[in-house]
Amino acid sequence: MQKYSVFSLIKNAFKGHKDWEVAWKDPTPKAEYEVIIIGGGGHGLATAYYLAKEHNITNVAIIEKGWIGGGNVGRNTTILRSNYMHDENGMFYEKGMDLWRSMSQDLNFNVMYSPRGIINLAHSDAQMNAYTRRGNSMRLNGIDAVLLGREEVKKLVPMLDFSENVRFPIFGGLMQPSGGTARHDAVAWGYARQADSMGVDIIQHCEVTGFDVANGKIKGIKTSRGNIKAKKIGLCVAGSTSILAEMLNITLPIETHLLQACVSEPIKPILDHVVTFGAGHFYCSQSDKGEMVMGGDLDGYNSYAQRGNLPTLQHVLTEGIAMLPFLSKLKMLRTWGGIMDMSMDGSPIIDKTHIDGLYLNCGWCYGGFKATPVSGWTFAHTIAQDRVHELNAGFSLNRFNTGNLIDEKGLGTKTWIS
Amino acid sequence: MLHIKCPHCGLRSQNEFSYGGDGTVKRPDLNKEVSDKEWDTFVYLRKSPRGKHVELWHHISGCRQWIKVERDTATHEIFKTSKVNEDI
Amino acid sequence: MSEEFRLDKIGLVNRDKKISFKFNGKKYFGYEGDTLASALIANGVHLIGRSFKYHRPRGFFGAGVDEPYAMVQLYRNNETEPNVRATEQELFEGLEAKSLNCWPSVNFDIGAINNFLNKFLPAGFYYKTFMWPKSFWYKIYEPFIRKAAGFGVVSTKHDNERYEHKYEYCDLLITGSGPSGLASAYAAAKNGARVILAEDKSRFGGSLLTSEVSIGNQNGKDWADNIIAELKEMPNVTVKNRAQVFGYYDHNMLVMSERLSDHLPKSKKYTPKQRLWYIRAKEVIISTGSIERPIVFGNNDTPGVVLASAAKEYLKVYGVLVGKKPLIFTNNDSAYETAIEFKKNNINPIILDTRKNPESEIISEAKNMGIEMKFSYVVVAAKGYKKVNFAEIANISEDKKDLGKIENINCDCICVSGFWTPTIHLASQSGNKTKFNEEIDAFVPGKSKQNETTVGSANGIFSLEKTLITAFEKGHEISKKITNKDNKISVPQVSEKKFTQHDKFWCVPLPKEKNYKRFLDFQNDVTVSDVELAIREGYRSIEHVKRYTTLGMATDQGKTSNLNGLQLVSSIENKIVPSVGHTTFRPPYTPVSIGAIVGREIGKHSKPTRKSPMHSWHEKHNAVFVDAGIWLRPRYYKKGNEGLFEASKREAENVRKNVGVCDVTTLGKIDVKGPDAAEFLNRVYTNAWLKLPVGKARYGVMLREDGIVMDDGTTTRISEHHYHMTTTTAQAANVLSHLEYYLQIVWPELNVNVVSTTEQWAGAAIAGPKSRNLLQKLFPDINVSNEGLPFMGYLESNLFGIPARIFRISFSGELAYEVNVESDNGNFMWEKIIEIGKEFAIQPYGTEALSTLRIEMGHVAGSELDGRTIPYDNGLDGLVSKKKDFIGKRSLNRKAFIAKDRQKVVGVVPLDKKTSIPEGSHLVKDANAILPNPKLGHISASCWSVEYNNPFSLAILKDGKNMIGKKLFALCPVKNKSIPVEIVSSHYVDPKGERVRS
Repeated sequence: MQKYSVFSLIKNAFKGHKDWEVAWKDPTPKAEYEVIIIGGGGHGLATAYYLAKEHNITNVAIIEKGWIGGGNVGRNTTILRSNYMHDENGMFYEKGMDLWRSMSQDLNFNVMYSPRGIINLAHSDAQMNAYTRRGNSMRLNGIDAVLLGREEVKKLVPMLDFSENVRFPIFGGLMQPSGGTARHDAVAWGYARQADSMGVDIIQHCEVTGFDVANGKIKGIKTSRGNIKAKKIGLCVAGSTSILAEMLNITLPIETHLLQACVSEPIKPILDHVVTFGAGHFYCSQSDKGEMVMGGDLDGYNSYAQRGNLPTLQHVLTEGIAMLPFLSKLKMLRTWGGIMDMSMDGSPIIDKTHIDGLYLNCGWCYGGFKATPVSGWTFAHTIAQDRVHELNAGFSLNRFNTGNLIDEKGLGTKTWIS
Repeated sequence: MLHIKCPHCGLRSQNEFSYGGDGTVKRPDLNKEVSDKEWDTFVYLRKSPRGKHVELWHHISGCRQWIKVERDTATHEIFKTSKVNEDI
Repeated sequence: MSEEFRLDKIGLVNRDKKISFKFNGKKYFGYEGDTLASALIANGVHLIGRSFKYHRPRGFFGAGVDEPYAMVQLYRNNETEPNVRATEQELFEGLEAKSLNCWPSVNFDIGAINNFLNKFLPAGFYYKTFMWPKSFWYKIYEPFIRKAAGFGVVSTKHDNERYEHKYEYCDLLITGSGPSGLASAYAAAKNGARVILAEDKSRFGGSLLTSEVSIGNQNGKDWADNIIAELKEMPNVTVKNRAQVFGYYDHNMLVMSERLSDHLPKSKKYTPKQRLWYIRAKEVIISTGSIERPIVFGNNDTPGVVLASAAKEYLKVYGVLVGKKPLIFTNNDSAYETAIEFKKNNINPIILDTRKNPESEIISEAKNMGIEMKFSYVVVAAKGYKKVNFAEIANISEDKKDLGKIENINCDCICVSGFWTPTIHLASQSGNKTKFNEEIDAFVPGKSKQNETTVGSANGIFSLEKTLITAFEKGHEISKKITNKDNKISVPQVSEKKFTQHDKFWCVPLPKEKNYKRFLDFQNDVTVSDVELAIREGYRSIEHVKRYTTLGMATDQGKTSNLNGLQLVSSIENKIVPSVGHTTFRPPYTPVSIGAIVGREIGKHSKPTRKSPMHSWHEKHNAVFVDAGIWLRPRYYKKGNEGLFEASKREAENVRKNVGVCDVTTLGKIDVKGPDAAEFLNRVYTNAWLKLPVGKARYGVMLREDGIVMDDGTTTRISEHHYHMTTTTAQAANVLSHLEYYLQIVWPELNVNVVSTTEQWAGAAIAGPKSRNLLQKLFPDINVSNEGLPFMGYLESNLFGIPARIFRISFSGELAYEVNVESDNGNFMWEKIIEIGKEFAIQPYGTEALSTLRIEMGHVAGSELDGRTIPYDNGLDGLVSKKKDFIGKRSLNRKAFIAKDRQKVVGVVPLDKKTSIPEGSHLVKDANAILPNPKLGHISASCWSVEYNNPFSLAILKDGKNMIGKKLFALCPVKNKSIPVEIVSSHYVDPKGERVRS
């Protein structure tokens, strides 16, 4: 594979950039693979990459209905963090942070990992206490966390609303200094390029229409481009999980919901951190291009539409202005929507299923992007070894029977409540 | 913003309602012995189809009645609404 | 400075009103009715900014929303606004603007070095480099790139402008006041429909402002003026200019932003800057017209290269010449109109037409006027750095692949026309599946998904006559459906010039040995070779191309670039355009003010504030408030220099010693009525309710179906079929919905009604050993003894003539009562309690003292009932009935819930009896264990025990019931604290609960 570097860039510049190779090929599906990953999003591509890299399984196909990276990996707000209270989440996402830290070098693709720090604002003592609990939990798990007072927040992000004319004053915040952002598309492309180079077939525009299961064992899939056999199949389709599960007669503790996000017009750098509003649900960072990247609540009803309505954005931006008053003077440039696989306790599922050879990766709710590497890493392990890794042991399907729920928000099954 | 026909009040904007999720979930009867599986199905498992979805909405800023709505989750088109005690 | 490019008489600007303005510090003047763009061009200013990536000089390309690069930093009324499109900004007295993205100046921009390095900066170059050394991306490269990116600047000052919202309903919304919009609006309005006609620009008329046509014996513009005048007079019609419908949402909800003050030096008093309209339309007619698209050629971004239609608009609307030696480069007839307008004003244009021998009425007319034309000719490249000063042109072969000999031709502007692209954004947003129209080389709306109809050039119809016929017909047809009237307007006679077929040509090949940049996306600096590279590298889907090259992702959202991008991809991939497909159109059509989207819900009004009827009393008595949801509650009453700690300690001590009064109005209250009310409560709460007598209260806990505690509170049986339920402040609304769910859906057979009475009652809790004495004085007629009003008893009486409810319930663990009166009497009640309580040394107490009291008594509250705990965790085992079924009971036998070492609430005391334990600390066995250090539990609530005068905390601890007496560490690394502690019972004070019953 061609190596990307400043030298290869210069060399190619003098050849008019005519010699760059394709980042990934466009193969026709083979009749059989050892492993098929359904879903060419971030998690699917990462799973294939780690199957090849960590487990030497390269006879792998990724089956994607549309174009790779077109799902939530390409329509999120690019935030990376591991600031979780529950151990299962904290340890899992912190492994993810480790993978993020070396991803550009590992993939030889600049994914622009930018640990600019994420600050969750608190607007009451009660909230400061909740953040103390979370921050302590992080620190005891070896994750960086700093509790900030009002003045400390003001020093870091002076343009937040510290005025008198404010409904919920800022009391302080919890900061994870190593949290930050990455370039979302690059993550998908970087994994795709490496996976392809190790022999993974990336098959785009191929829709799964059914499964071949016999005697409780998975045998293969039916697709718009013919039947393909496989010993093992991993489902990695986020918001479309319920649709595929239905083909297998499986009902899951998941609902598919719509989450919108938007960006402002680009402006010169003003916000260096990722900041979240504590008296509601709003998060914001500024992209390298200068756009303010903003998101918040779900539209609040089951949806596969990838198309939302304005009142939700109005609500989200209301909290935006409450936090960063200058946003009022900017213009909203682009909006988009992604469909979220909301699980019943807000935490993901990475597990085997009752069908032998069928593995499940879903339930990412709002938080799938940051999990991309570690989701792929643990899912690859689960598929290759046919057993869960200790990092994803908590994300089992049967926790909904045993009561070992991982509910960061304490909201229970009403996933649409903000 | 959706436009939902409350069977009690008429056509109203979505911001008068709150969402109640899968309308086909049926709570096991009180005092009835149910298996773990049956119970967990009721508590946690949800129909989440792409297409027609029967769901509950609560007219909280109106008559405060829960209603049933049949809606397409891919297009948001609403086909029918009914009172909760009616079949949809 | 004189306006050397302004014609004397032409145009619609108001020559009587001169307006002065500044651009880059230099003073100019224009006229009322100018845009910043037209006024600058009139003054010969074409260099307006620098491009995003290469910092190439950029000028004006369009004359409206499609403008890709003429953006400025605007200064207005002591504020500044970034990224304002000069082609849309109307001129006002004192306007100031500056160029963007250049340093030190637009004339000499250091960043332009990127233009010479461009060879090293192809699409996606940043993915391939800046990877080593590892930390350099974040520390060195990224900050550098961030500084270079972005356009304008925003000040961090609060926005002083006002934005409003309006909700409107109509029969028919029409988006655009060109000929199709006017005709359909007129037809529908005359047929009785309630019509809203929205025009984005300040002037109505659309293409009629600049075209030479006549409609019913009037010229086009006069016809438009007359129709508008008539529409404005009709009561069933709302006509709005400066109003853009930018989004088409579900169920025919459209949103329009109306700019009321942006064209004024400052907003008038009580007039918002912008108003956002949420419009629910029964039907929508989309008459958004079309946008001219460019032909791609070398250096096509040079200032002076403009769309032919823009040149015509500058001339006809503003009386401004984009140049005096124009070169017109076209593949179709419409640019001939531009040429003819130049010629009429004694300017001699030269037309280069890519077609071989086109023949039409307008071409003959141009010929007859003596305009010079060259057929089968193309512009190969624009020449000149900051302004076009000549062009390289060449003959082109019939297959459009080979160029003839390059010739130079003098010109000071190049007016380009590559035919027209229908503006289908709204139709596409509505869910309409667009289709490709071969004849016009562009997408047009297909089958409607919602109630929308597209007319005129937005639908790919470019003949005025056809447009008017269909628009009148649609306006009539649609209104008839709604009004059932049949008042039909006859279509006026139209005279227009017939056009011949355009040439499907969109990109000039590069001459040999030349490497001109040919721009597709002008703002993001995306060139033909960038797209070629993306496809070469396998980014083949149009979405991949877009994301890899950033084509169409700039603030103009690709209005002039998307289709040419598609053409390029399809030609490289050897596919037809429709199979490549276009990227999704999403709202907004053009960037829309975030202030306008939010409206009035800003500052203190970003969320509602709820106050109890006693709020002003609290304020007067130095209460410091705390947010409890959207309620404000007194947290403590400040005396002298007291802080939170001293004040709350004083208040709590006074409750333990004398008597205190606390405003408990915010608690949720629900009336539960009906013959089956007891049965219902018995199902809702975990404990038994069937035998609660009238006049008694009971504490209850309710669960979610998953077994987690949802809420707690006391419920009182007021009469046989009437219960008064209280909930926590936070859960009030959820509990009501929860009850309604079960009554309406799960158990409709129960004859019970529930209604919120939170607002109906004001509540005061009177707590402390002297509370009985106080109560007796407040209600001299009732028997307040332990027999007369026992613990959990209830009485009704009157407080100096007003009806009151008296509950003997306690949250503080002291002897306590709660008095409720109707809200209007709340303040009366409060003042009486304070007044009469004086002799018992009464003090009001806030939520902080309340917390202290409940914590040291071991009463669980929100910090323990955090949506993750079951009753057993909270020591509420006794409240869980073994005999009856209730909501969530079946979940309580889950394996994890009945585990032997299940978490439980306990008390925690620091060994030194001095160090307060921060809430949120974690309990561990070994303070210095290597990480991750196993956590056994967390401190949920802490207080200073006023009973024992030492710190006391509650914790939720694993295997809590077996941990009493054990020594652990409370760790709070974020506050750098490690505190040795002992685990004790959670009931620290009065463990037997004797005081409440005393």
